[in-house]
Amino acid sequence: MTLLEVKGLTKRYGDVLALTDLTVSVDEGACLVLLGRNGAGKTTALRCMAGVLAPTAGSVRVDGIDAATEPAAVRERVGLMPELPGLYERMSARTYLDYFGSIYDLPPQTRTRRIESLLELFELKDAADRWLGSYSKGMRQKVALIRATLHRPRLILADEPTSALDPDSARRAWVYLKDLQKDGCALVICTHSMEEAENLSGEIGIMSAGRALAVGDLSELRRKSGLQTRREVRELPTLQDIYLAIVGNHRDQHERELAESRSA
Amino acid sequence: MSASWPSLDRHKVAIVAQRDLRDAVSELRLILAMVALTLAIPIGSAIGVRGLAYFGGGTAVVERLALVGAFFVVFIPASFSLVLALESFVGERERTTLEVLVSTPLKEVEIYAGKVAAVLAVSLALCYGGLIVYCLATFTGLGYFPVSTLIALALSTICQVAAMVAGAVIISLNARTMRAANVMASFIILPMSVVLQVEAALILLGRAEFLWGFAGLMIVLAAVLLRMGLDGFSREALLAREVGLRQPIKRAAAALRTAFMHRPGLFRLLWHRRIPLSIAAAGLPIGAGAGFIAGLTGAIPGSVVKPVLSSLIQAAGEDSGAFAAIAIFSHNVLAFAFAVPLAVLTAGVSGFLLTFAPGFLLGYAASQSSWSVAIAGVLPNGLVEIPAAIIAGGLAIQVGAASIHMEPSGGWTARVLTATADYLRALRWLIPALAVAALLEVRLG
Repeated sequence: MTLLEVKGLTKRYGDVLALTDLTVSVDEGACLVLLGRNGAGKTTALRCMAGVLAPTAGSVRVDGIDAATEPAAVRERVGLMPELPGLYERMSARTYLDYFGSIYDLPPQTRTRRIESLLELFELKDAADRWLGSYSKGMRQKVALIRATLHRPRLILADEPTSALDPDSARRAWVYLKDLQKDGCALVICTHSMEEAENLSGEIGIMSAGRALAVGDLSELRRKSGLQTRREVRELPTLQDIYLAIVGNHRDQHERELAESRSA
Repeated sequence: MSASWPSLDRHKVAIVAQRDLRDAVSELRLILAMVALTLAIPIGSAIGVRGLAYFGGGTAVVERLALVGAFFVVFIPASFSLVLALESFVGERERTTLEVLVSTPLKEVEIYAGKVAAVLAVSLALCYGGLIVYCLATFTGLGYFPVSTLIALALSTICQVAAMVAGAVIISLNARTMRAANVMASFIILPMSVVLQVEAALILLGRAEFLWGFAGLMIVLAAVLLRMGLDGFSREALLAREVGLRQPIKRAAAALRTAFMHRPGLFRLLWHRRIPLSIAAAGLPIGAGAGFIAGLTGAIPGSVVKPVLSSLIQAAGEDSGAFAAIAIFSHNVLAFAFAVPLAVLTAGVSGFLLTFAPGFLLGYAASQSSWSVAIAGVLPNGLVEIPAAIIAGGLAIQVGAASIHMEPSGGWTARVLTATADYLRALRWLIPALAVAALLEVRLG
């Protein structure tokens, strides 16, 4: 069953076109990884998918619900983890998570149980009563991940969820996310790490300047990039090679168009 | 703009408010500063008043001073509300915590109401705590306790705090950083300082009914500003609105040009603006009725209104000729010119006054003589001047309405500029009309 369906999504901020005609879909238990440079439109795409921003054109449906007409219902089903954790510095992790649990209407016992088990999983139990302001970057990211998943969302939208984590914590975080995926939760992950994107073994969307240049699994992207037919590549091209080929081609084309428009 | 207030889940509002309250009182230094001010000012003021009473200050002076002291006691903590509100909205936005909050299923109105409630709770607790301490320390054994005035003061304080909080929300929608918000806060502090001076003057007058009227006006102001804040408070505005773009002067010039483009001609415009024009037209009979009643009952002393009437009669009668015509014309043009900038600040009340004020004087004059005499004095120049005032008043009311109308998608500046452009374009017709009216007034008396 398709959990996230994005059709022709376009978002404009005043004169700036942040996102153009994005079409992707993610099934239950599947994963979509969005790759792209800073300013490629990934964060805007996530915000639109989360029902936080209204699309300028196109549509977003989560679990069959239109984000434009019922954004609150969409937000109930989504767990958004922005790039910056956005934690309240003068709150303890436990109180902070309890606060968000109550916003999502989780019964007190359920949220206490979940909070305690997740704090344990992410090795935060000892620091759970300290103010979040005293937390390290990695600890903050863990709390943000717990917050985004505390209400067991149907769709998790995470912007670089492990960028500040040490390798062991990152592995733990991915195991946790994959467990949620097995339970039917769909993931949309933005990352700059090609290794992570390859390991997530889902669909990959390569974005540049607000456009999705290519969407597909690794083999499809290899085909689209044209790299698999090149003789000089002895081994299968890595995602890094594919990414650079696709984005590089797009940049060349973009520069050619600019030069043509200037000469015209 | 929809007149209804959106529905909200009070439990969710309470959750947001509790967190903000906890945050506001989580810093010991902040609490100490607030409590110290809340206690020090009332106790200091009380000592001053009682000292004056003890050392033989006249009863009238002591009573007035006791009330002015109460005003200061509530004013200082009330000013905290602005700081707390800016911190609550812009501060959260700057620290990116607001993005997380708006990604939850909470409705805009629940976030807004929760945050406003928390700021109001802290500010009002300090205001009323200070007032209670002051009243206990000042009025006990003084033999004077102006309950009505103090209640009016307390009520207008709630509204002032609410107005400042709503103003802070409006600022938070347009400022990305606390520094920018603090600079923009001048737009709240300056008008509020005028409001507070008026309140202080009313307290010194010692008329409780004036303070009640003032409190009523503050309720309206707070309701309008809270509504504006709510209308503009949206996820879209917080996360997506463009702020601080390049080439601001070029963009402002383009916005100004756009405001004048594709606008309807005068008659079509009048049809489009029939509602504000009707309100302006109603201002004349309402003003006449109010003036007549005020004259008959003596609610406003003759010593206030009669000099105005006398100067108007003299201006029309003494100097016949070009000088008088120019004086009348200049006076009217000045009134029309001030109506628009004041309309932005007064939510269009200045536009209503363009017809209400002459109506009031007419009614007052009628109460002192008769309607036929008063109307004869207005004719025939009124035949031109009154329609011109109705058109100008209606278009100024539209400017005021645009200035208090906010939408999540923004566009406030464009709406105000368009309404102002309509007004300025109408002046091409209204100024010649005022010239004709001035000539008629001088020629026909």
